[in-house]
Amino acid sequence: MMILSLAWKNIWRNKKRSLIVMTSVMLGTTAGLFTLGLTYGMVGEKLDAVVYTELSHLQIHQKTFLRHPEITKTLPHVDSIMAFLNVRAEVKTISPHIRITAMGSTSRGNTSLDLLGVDPTSEQALSNLNEHILPGSGHYLNSDEQYPILISDKTAEQLRIKTYTIKLDKTPLPLAITTKLQALNGKRFFTKKKFKRAVSNVLTEKEVSLYGPSLTQAALQYRHHAKIVFTFTDATGLLVSQLFSVCGIFKTDFSGFDEGRAFVLRKDLAKASHLPRNQIHEICVLLHQAEALPTVVQDLKTTFPDVDVQDWKALSPIGEVFSQMMGLYSLMVMGFILFALAFGIVNTMLMAILERTKELGMLMAIGMNRRRVFQLIMSETIFLTLVGAFVGMVLGAALIAITHHTGIYFSSIAEGFQEMGFAAVVYPTIGAQDFIIITLLVILTGILSAIYPARKALKLNPLEAIRTEN
Amino acid sequence: MNTIIEIKDVVKVYHSAAIQVKAVDHVNLTIQQGEFTALVGPSGSGKTTLLNLIGGLDKPSSGEIIIDHTNLNAMSAKQIVDFRLQNIGFVFQSYNLIPVFSAQENVSFIMELQHRPKKEIAKRTIEILTQVGLGDRLESRPSELSGGQQQRVAVARAIASRPTFVIADEPTANLDSKSTAQLLDLMEKMNREENITFLFSTHDKRVMDKAHRILVLEDGKIVKDEKLQS
Repeated sequence: MMILSLAWKNIWRNKKRSLIVMTSVMLGTTAGLFTLGLTYGMVGEKLDAVVYTELSHLQIHQKTFLRHPEITKTLPHVDSIMAFLNVRAEVKTISPHIRITAMGSTSRGNTSLDLLGVDPTSEQALSNLNEHILPGSGHYLNSDEQYPILISDKTAEQLRIKTYTIKLDKTPLPLAITTKLQALNGKRFFTKKKFKRAVSNVLTEKEVSLYGPSLTQAALQYRHHAKIVFTFTDATGLLVSQLFSVCGIFKTDFSGFDEGRAFVLRKDLAKASHLPRNQIHEICVLLHQAEALPTVVQDLKTTFPDVDVQDWKALSPIGEVFSQMMGLYSLMVMGFILFALAFGIVNTMLMAILERTKELGMLMAIGMNRRRVFQLIMSETIFLTLVGAFVGMVLGAALIAITHHTGIYFSSIAEGFQEMGFAAVVYPTIGAQDFIIITLLVILTGILSAIYPARKALKLNPLEAIRTEN
Repeated sequence: MNTIIEIKDVVKVYHSAAIQVKAVDHVNLTIQQGEFTALVGPSGSGKTTLLNLIGGLDKPSSGEIIIDHTNLNAMSAKQIVDFRLQNIGFVFQSYNLIPVFSAQENVSFIMELQHRPKKEIAKRTIEILTQVGLGDRLESRPSELSGGQQQRVAVARAIASRPTFVIADEPTANLDSKSTAQLLDLMEKMNREENITFLFSTHDKRVMDKAHRILVLEDGKIVKDEKLQS
């Protein structure tokens, strides 16, 4: 017990040095926890988006539909599959889709995308896309409307449905800026690029960075109920066109998802494409618990061997790869932190031993055996590490809790993040298990780092050590 | 009388690059229990080397050192450490107390290493520190004590473990005359009242005057062994 007391008192002999080491351990623990929390937050949000916005847990298609998506490749045994899924307790929601590749055109632009015919009620239970509708842009699909369509912000840009009009009377700006922008007042731009170019021509770079965002926000307008003509091949092989009216505009964190699709009512798309009643291309399934996914997929494959059943990992392998990459990245960061920490601890303990050579020699001379000397040095290191790790845990947990609440906005790299499918705002999170593992890793690093200095102390010759002058 | 220390034809040779130095040269010596012996001689005469050999801190080049019927030569390094803990008390010239421990903790620590019962440790610590005149400085750290007081704590620590004998290497070298007198009186009192065997090296005439036996060392050899009236 007195060895522990001696160890504790020894670490406070050089307060400044001990506090530096404790601070290093604390920062290491905090940084490690926060890095992991940030990674989990990013990956968790990405995976949540993949499942709850983009794909659901699993999808069922005709065998070759995903490789060659043609209108005629409808899903067989729809009723049986629906009946099978309806009685499974693991299944939360099912949403059938019609999916047709079409060319959309407005008077000012055109783009190719997948039209997804959905039932609003089941789709809203399956996907949280309705939460991504931009304020002021409209609303989600409504069965009572005539041929409504929900398009993405990207698609709206490509089809020139978004416009930018400078209204100086509605934008609070300094007089000097208003004067410079006077020539542009009331002028309408159909792309953000052209709008920015026009503003940059009259304002300085500094003024653009200062007033640009608020000016853009105020100038942005959506053309409500804009009409888009979609042209596609129908079920009989004929080229048909159908006019849709924009009911709302959505924007998710993954621009790849946004660019590729638009949502319409299934009944409208079935009618326009002349698909027979109850013919669909895919069934999306959301489960209560992700853990049940392998079982449900396997059961479906066994019961319906002639359809293509794929879980979200197979449908979006990039999500899984990113998840693994981020895991690896956080492990590497953690490794570097622990490595640097180990060096700091080894250095400090070697200095502590060097300074106390005479005292250690005396202790060995009066009968303190090697095991106890080892115990003493190890205890000192563990105390140093424990105090730092404990404070680091508290700080790390607090930092994660605060940022989990507020979110961290990666403004400068937001576009890059969204191209990769990650949210620009990350909400760090960490599980209790990982929290404990990180803390134990830091303590283990402390213990392992103490072995070398402790072994050095054991090699001291008491007689020579007593003769030293420190 | 019981023989505590028996040294048989001990030689200690130090080897440096070019020369060999015989620090202890064929020394034969016996010390009985309860003796109060001073080892004297000029610097470099081999006093400290001989004390280190007797204390098991160093090994002889040849010869035998038998402490309380146990031959140190036959012991492993680990056994010697434990033997020192149980049988030998040390008092060093520069006190060598643990600076972060109080006087009480410095004395208790050695008994804790011996795994003595807690109650016994607490009782004996207070008894001994009171005996050395520091009953009112139990909680003082070494830095709060004078040199003489620190050396008294060192003596208390040395005898707390109930050793077979106490080795003191120049115990008064760093003390003023008053502290020296107090420390010598204390050591003599311990020797007289508790029959503790003391073997100490010194240059100090005042210390020699207190000794009951004086061993004079020159060039590693005992040239004089004088027993005085106690």
